[in-house]
Amino acid sequence: MAEIRTEELLMNIGPQHPSTHGVLRVVVKVDGEIIRDVEPVVGYLHRGTEKLAEDLQYTQIIPYTDRMDYLASMINNHAIVNAVERAMDLQVPERAEHLRVIVVELNRIASHLVFLGTYLLDLGAMSPFLYAFANREKIIDMFNRISGARLTFNYMRVGGVKWDAPEGWVQDVLDFIAHLRKEMNMFHELVSGNEIFLERVKGVGIYDADTALNYGLSGINLRATGFNWDLRKNKPYSIYDRFDFNVIVGEKGDCYDRYVCHMSEIVESMKIVEQAAQQIPDGPVMGKVPKILRVPAGEYYSAVEGARGELGLYIVSEGKDKPYRMKWRRPSFVNLQILPKLLEGQTMSNLIAVLGAVDIVLGEVDA
Amino acid sequence: MSEETKAPEATKATEETPEPVDPRIEKANGQLELVKSKVVAKFGEEVIEEALLAKFQPTLVIQNERWADVVEFLKVTDELGFVYPEAMAGTDHMAKGYFEVYLYLHSFVLDMDLAVKVRTGREEPSIPSVTHLFSGVNWEEREIFDLLGVPFTGHPDMRRIMLEDHWQGHPLRKDYVVKD
Repeated sequence: MAEIRTEELLMNIGPQHPSTHGVLRVVVKVDGEIIRDVEPVVGYLHRGTEKLAEDLQYTQIIPYTDRMDYLASMINNHAIVNAVERAMDLQVPERAEHLRVIVVELNRIASHLVFLGTYLLDLGAMSPFLYAFANREKIIDMFNRISGARLTFNYMRVGGVKWDAPEGWVQDVLDFIAHLRKEMNMFHELVSGNEIFLERVKGVGIYDADTALNYGLSGINLRATGFNWDLRKNKPYSIYDRFDFNVIVGEKGDCYDRYVCHMSEIVESMKIVEQAAQQIPDGPVMGKVPKILRVPAGEYYSAVEGARGELGLYIVSEGKDKPYRMKWRRPSFVNLQILPKLLEGQTMSNLIAVLGAVDIVLGEVDA
Repeated sequence: MSEETKAPEATKATEETPEPVDPRIEKANGQLELVKSKVVAKFGEEVIEEALLAKFQPTLVIQNERWADVVEFLKVTDELGFVYPEAMAGTDHMAKGYFEVYLYLHSFVLDMDLAVKVRTGREEPSIPSVTHLFSGVNWEEREIFDLLGVPFTGHPDMRRIMLEDHWQGHPLRKDYVVKD
């Protein structure tokens, strides 16, 4: 039998590819079906947000943050207002804090639902995507009622939130959570026991906690290894210390654990939303803040637990109304670096399974 | 008349009651001293250019030439254990004549955050890379190189990451001219 000639092949996945969820190019060197080398190429969506921020007042920066992680804009809003409030020692009214927690956790649920839907779609299951998006749509509708926008909310302000909840909104949130509880059971029945799905994700893309820390991973990518680290618990901000919820950790750090963590975190976020919606007091939604915000000269770093990990903000101020330098610590950008390590030696079919589980949003990777 | 008599009393009262020290500042000062003493014991006084509290954040400014050594020491020393790189950023302090790189580390042993900084002149800037210590700062260093124009010596892959390779200039520099 004549020997078959083989050679390594260079392949481009993206920048326009449905499974990269945006404009990401992955240059893959394959030897037959085996991946030898991977290089993610980013920057296609770079808009220079940090440069633009240097010419904007702090309130004017908030709408720009909506466009970074566009699946969890509320959390981005929270990151910047929280950072400025901490730097200026501003007080936020109780009702505003509760509204913030409700919308942030609802947005975390919506973002995780997008992950679940699109991840299964990438793996070839169409129907879970429709169920996930039908429920996400209900959350988006509620955001539309409270902020007037479906994706780019621009809802929070330094010192509070822009609008109070409309009549009956809080009750609708509680009704939706009760509805979602049932839906989650159905989702579990539909997906979690599916043998084809389990074959695709179990034991794929494994790494341990030390590796995760070395790569600076945060959020579910870190917790899936069994490492208990959630900024809502470990570096409490806002009013998260008042609510009863668990930090979800995985066991092995494979794609299956990352899927399970997303599912369970939705349940924990539902708990927080329920508690906040039940406890929400009446009162103003905007605190007393100066008309023009001037962060005292100095430098500050503070972070919130985003849907994808630690969403941090480093501000260098000269005491003016605009930041001298504003750096976003973007979880998607940091998390994506581990991709080449996870894919080396894997088969080509695992590329999408692993990339999807890292759960990136390109708007945030490129800022 | 009453104004005049009241005024001295008010100043007297503030003199008698000592200003209460914020417990957060006290705690941060303790943390700063602890880390500083360990670094000084290993490398000597001159390696720390500045030690300060940025609000409540212990911050050390490290000598450029020893940057990688000090960061390695912070990471591998068991009783310090700064193993988790949380954030990295670069700033152009044009008026002061230097670029500054900021690295935010967390220690699970001490349960504290530490900001370490390093400076380099605006003419021919250069900073030793710490990618061999933390894989997670690889892209952060590339981003700083791309947007600020500070090359990291010893970095395995020092290329632009956000902008095209043929881009002229570095946008986050304060003297960068934005073209329409």
